[in-house]
Amino acid sequence: MKGVEKLEKVRLIIDGKEIFADKNSTILNAAKENNIEIPTLCYHENVALYGACGICTVEAEGMPKLMRACSQKVQEGMVIHTDSERVKKSRKIALELLMSDHTGDCLGPCRLNCPAGTDCQGYVKLIAEGKFHEAVKLIKEKLPLPASIGRVCPHPCETACRRQMVEEPISIAYLKAFCADEDLKADTFRPEVQPDTGKKVAIIGGGPAGLTAAYFLRIKGHSVTIFDAMEKMGGMLRYGIPEYRLPKKVLDKEIEQIACLGVEMKNNVKIGENISFEQIKNDYDAVVVAIGAWSSLSVRCKGDDLEGVMGGIGFLRKVALGEETNMGKKVAVVGGGNTAMDAARTAVRLGAEEVYVIYRRTRNEMPAEKIEIEEAEEEGVTFKFLTNPDEIMGENGKANKIKLQVMELGEPDSSGRRSPVAVEGKFEFIDVDTVIMAIGQKVNVSGFEEIELNSKGIISADERTFRTNIENVFAVGDATNKGASIAIAAIGEAEKASKVIDGYLLGMEIPYRKPFVSEKEVTAEMFADKEKISRAKMPVRSADERKNDFKEITLGFTKEEAMKEASRCLECGCHDYKDCKLIEYANWYDINPARFKGEKNIHETERKLVSIERNNSKCILCSLCVRTCDEVVKKGVLGLVGRGFTTTIKPEFQGDEILAFCKDCKKCAEVCPTGALKIL
Amino acid sequence: MKIAVGQGSCGIAAGAGKVYSAIESLLEDKQILTITGCVGMCFLEPIVDIYDNDNKLHRLVKVKEEDAENIVKAVEEKDFSYVENILISAEDESFLEKQTRIALRNCGKINPEKIEDYIKNSGYEAIKKVLTSMSPEEVIDEIKVSGLAGRGGAGFPTWFKWNAARQSEGKEKYLICNADEGDPGAFMDRAVIESDPHTLIEGMLIGAYAIGAKECIVYVRAEYPLAIVRLENAIKQAEEKGFIGKNILGTAFSCTFRIKAGAGAFVCGEETALIESLEGERGMPRLKPPFPAQAGYWLKPSNINNVETFANVAWIINNSGEEFSRLGTENSKGTKVFALTGKVKRGGLVEIPMGKTLRDVIFDIGGGIKDNKNFKAVQLGGPSGGCIPEKLLDTVIDYKELSATGAIMGSGGMVVMDDSTCMVNMAKFFLDFTTKESCGKCVHCRIGTKRMYEILERIVSGKGESGDIELLEELCYGIKDGALCGLGQTAPNPVLTTIKYFRDEYVSHIEEKRCPAKECADLLTYSINKDKCVGCSLCSKKCPANAISGEIKKTFEIDNNLCIKCGQCKSACRFGAVEVI
Repeated sequence: MKGVEKLEKVRLIIDGKEIFADKNSTILNAAKENNIEIPTLCYHENVALYGACGICTVEAEGMPKLMRACSQKVQEGMVIHTDSERVKKSRKIALELLMSDHTGDCLGPCRLNCPAGTDCQGYVKLIAEGKFHEAVKLIKEKLPLPASIGRVCPHPCETACRRQMVEEPISIAYLKAFCADEDLKADTFRPEVQPDTGKKVAIIGGGPAGLTAAYFLRIKGHSVTIFDAMEKMGGMLRYGIPEYRLPKKVLDKEIEQIACLGVEMKNNVKIGENISFEQIKNDYDAVVVAIGAWSSLSVRCKGDDLEGVMGGIGFLRKVALGEETNMGKKVAVVGGGNTAMDAARTAVRLGAEEVYVIYRRTRNEMPAEKIEIEEAEEEGVTFKFLTNPDEIMGENGKANKIKLQVMELGEPDSSGRRSPVAVEGKFEFIDVDTVIMAIGQKVNVSGFEEIELNSKGIISADERTFRTNIENVFAVGDATNKGASIAIAAIGEAEKASKVIDGYLLGMEIPYRKPFVSEKEVTAEMFADKEKISRAKMPVRSADERKNDFKEITLGFTKEEAMKEASRCLECGCHDYKDCKLIEYANWYDINPARFKGEKNIHETERKLVSIERNNSKCILCSLCVRTCDEVVKKGVLGLVGRGFTTTIKPEFQGDEILAFCKDCKKCAEVCPTGALKIL
Repeated sequence: MKIAVGQGSCGIAAGAGKVYSAIESLLEDKQILTITGCVGMCFLEPIVDIYDNDNKLHRLVKVKEEDAENIVKAVEEKDFSYVENILISAEDESFLEKQTRIALRNCGKINPEKIEDYIKNSGYEAIKKVLTSMSPEEVIDEIKVSGLAGRGGAGFPTWFKWNAARQSEGKEKYLICNADEGDPGAFMDRAVIESDPHTLIEGMLIGAYAIGAKECIVYVRAEYPLAIVRLENAIKQAEEKGFIGKNILGTAFSCTFRIKAGAGAFVCGEETALIESLEGERGMPRLKPPFPAQAGYWLKPSNINNVETFANVAWIINNSGEEFSRLGTENSKGTKVFALTGKVKRGGLVEIPMGKTLRDVIFDIGGGIKDNKNFKAVQLGGPSGGCIPEKLLDTVIDYKELSATGAIMGSGGMVVMDDSTCMVNMAKFFLDFTTKESCGKCVHCRIGTKRMYEILERIVSGKGESGDIELLEELCYGIKDGALCGLGQTAPNPVLTTIKYFRDEYVSHIEEKRCPAKECADLLTYSINKDKCVGCSLCSKKCPANAISGEIKKTFEIDNNLCIKCGQCKSACRFGAVEVI
């Protein structure tokens, strides 16, 4: 008779879907068999029902209470909702509560601070293990130009790197360039391209943003064409960054990697001249505007229209194109950012005898990279801090002198930097042949008049959908919203936009949402016992040698140097981030645990037991480890101790007593839904 | 002539032991001195009952050791004028007169340590009737007719549970009594076991027969040592008399009894956690279904009822279910015992028929509010229950009606509050309790109650933020929906009901940083009224923080930076000069 019983099915409806399930099955399993996923953190088929997490709650019509899907058996005629507002709210609160007592870093600060979200910790670890190609593969999940970006990026990752609390940050950017170079030498990583979707995407602008969008959209199987006004692809990486920082050979190789995925690249095409924007819009399913910010801002002082006054990026572009600059022997660069440094150092290399950097604040406030400033100084650049052009004077329409207003620092402004104030009546004069204005960039939107701009004259694009005011036109990078920023920011936007556009092309657009992650507060004391190992110094050519040519300054790490440097990583991010069910569900329900901020159970030390490491601060007390050890392994080594909020799992992972019982089967760690248990 | 000294835990705490010894040492005929349990008049303990030769009761109250001489004289000389000064007043007598006692029918009347006393009062008649003339199904039917519902709090029909356990397949079944009475302010079950243990035993025997169990287990909290001793003694006596053991009263029915002392966890009053604890596991609730009637103790069909539920059973069998069902309302039959405590004049055990109002209990029986203060609210059902305000005092005692207010019938705790009680602080008190008593298993209770407590703590300490009330409410409903067991699911009730009925108090704390009841120390400012201060310096001497200074015979002043708001100055001042804002 039992066999007959087994066949007995009941009919029920889950989320509007009619389902026939074994009468003994639970709602959770019945749903799972029909591809309806009900989240749960404490259920596991190998152990008895427990019901602690309360995440699997579902609503049944006609029942006043929510039910736990893990324990409730199906009944004939049941109408179940697994995604009603009440259910979502209930799960959200449960997850918020769990997260309010969960202490750990999902991701390392390096990755969180990278605008493109590259998995710095991940690839640094792979480099430490000598897995350079794997490292590149991981980088290219977010960033298709690692050899180029590794050289030029002002590396926000390193700014955030926690190793500073020990001594100095990891040299993440150079490590990235290192492994990318290794990868370009042989067996270059090439991603798999999905079958053609039949959708066509036009990308306008072949800079870092455009190339990135092309890379990711092509991988998704779309047909991609890049249009670029210049003779070669690369945008600012090619025409704004001097050869000595980024050899164009390297950039060419990386662009070639993208081209060989089947991305069509059309150069010397200027929208509005060679082809109309209207036509592109009509010919392609989606258009990505990534035109960058190619005009220089001026200081706007008297005489700024004289011959011999030029924009910083215009100057760099001329040099990149091999055009004559007519800069003379005395060059003054106005500005304190990386473009100013690039212009000044390029001027040195072109044979200028006197090169000045005019900056209205002091060295401390300079936005340029510290290393750039130092290297420029070594190459003979003279810094005129606390000065600002008051007038550019000239003769016969050509600049020959600058009148500099002397400044001093006043109160901090909204950016937190002390703002420069003119010292009345105090001026200096320098003789110049050329004045280069490198104080900022603006967007040139000619040819794109249809696209709506913001109040600053920059293309306005939605920050979550990257859409412009035109139905199939998206925009990313320097040309949008806040304007010019660093390359990696443009790349990050392009990568996120490519996901949205892919969805758009397939008719299921999902706007970008910044994922929720758990972060913990740290103090320097926590790292007091770490051994101090200095950061690897990147070898560079001497100033005397390098200032005469455009060859690359940096000489690169050796394999050994790179691996050693990479091994300094503290591995701040959770080992379990990719498989962690807690963070996965947390992001399903858009949680905000900050509203339940309160006392936390923080367990300082991480205990190790043979091959398992435990961090109870991440434990959510699902008890799967306890129950698995008890019911599956039949050892019963672990147990719950304490009551209420202070409940914890004991014994501690140390000492001979526990070793006598634990057989190191690791089954506890295998079932852990979070990163609390780690197999070493 | 008989002298009975009330010797429940409450009486003993008030000095009944000493009174007993004093009488015993003076009394010539020691045979006439006996003990009894608790009659339920806590406010009059110690109580000495003298039954004269006509069996007329002379009840002496608030008896002191030194009254022993007069008591003995009164008895020996048969002249009760000796004890006129300690004779119960007519007003106080009404406390009992207005009650209807079924569960407590023998409490304070019989000697709980003598089975003969119980037998004399129709004890063990019901089990005889059941075993000799009724089938288990007939017993269940009789209980069904009575309408008896679980007195532990939830009010689930007793017959239904018995029937479910009876219908469950399996030879081995268990009958369990939940005597893990844990609600703060509740002591009904303790009084029954201490005062009339055989009533419980008889009720359980009938239940065991009805469901087909051969073993009865009483789960008593270890904090009730006297109850355990008296129950052990009662079990022994019942075994000797043949009411427990093999072939009870010569029938085929056999049943054993044992006691399990709980280790002090509130959650073990939850039936599945109780079972875990019985099995020697950590006291944590199990998922339901399966229900204990299907798979309970050692996964065998088990039935669990509360002490008071069992205490009604023998009466129902003796007097018929119909008789029982005549008492009460349509939804709630019979009587209910309450432990009336708090700011009420006459606190103690009150058993009244369902259908009376809260006002009847608090004002008519309890005599109203102490110290001429005003009634503010009554908390029913302990940490799982809710607060009921004055405007709902006419609510009828009935499972449905009480639930509609947001409170619950509960096991019978009834804490009366006057206008000096801050309702936010009161909610915090109960949350503190549930937070500490949470077993830690489910997320909602382990972390949710903790977060509720933290929000309440910040409100009473003046750090509440606007939006906190809404956040609390959201959390409350989330916990009610998500918690695993009754403890967690009902933990938000004190918060929800105080928000519902006293929202303005929450608002005052949060928006104005003011405690209207002047209870939350962080929100109070003490000052000395110069017109009333005579400069006696007493306040200054009492102040533990040296925050009060001044010159003798001139006025004194409080330095609010030093003041720790302990209130000692206010209680010390004889001129009412210390004022609190």
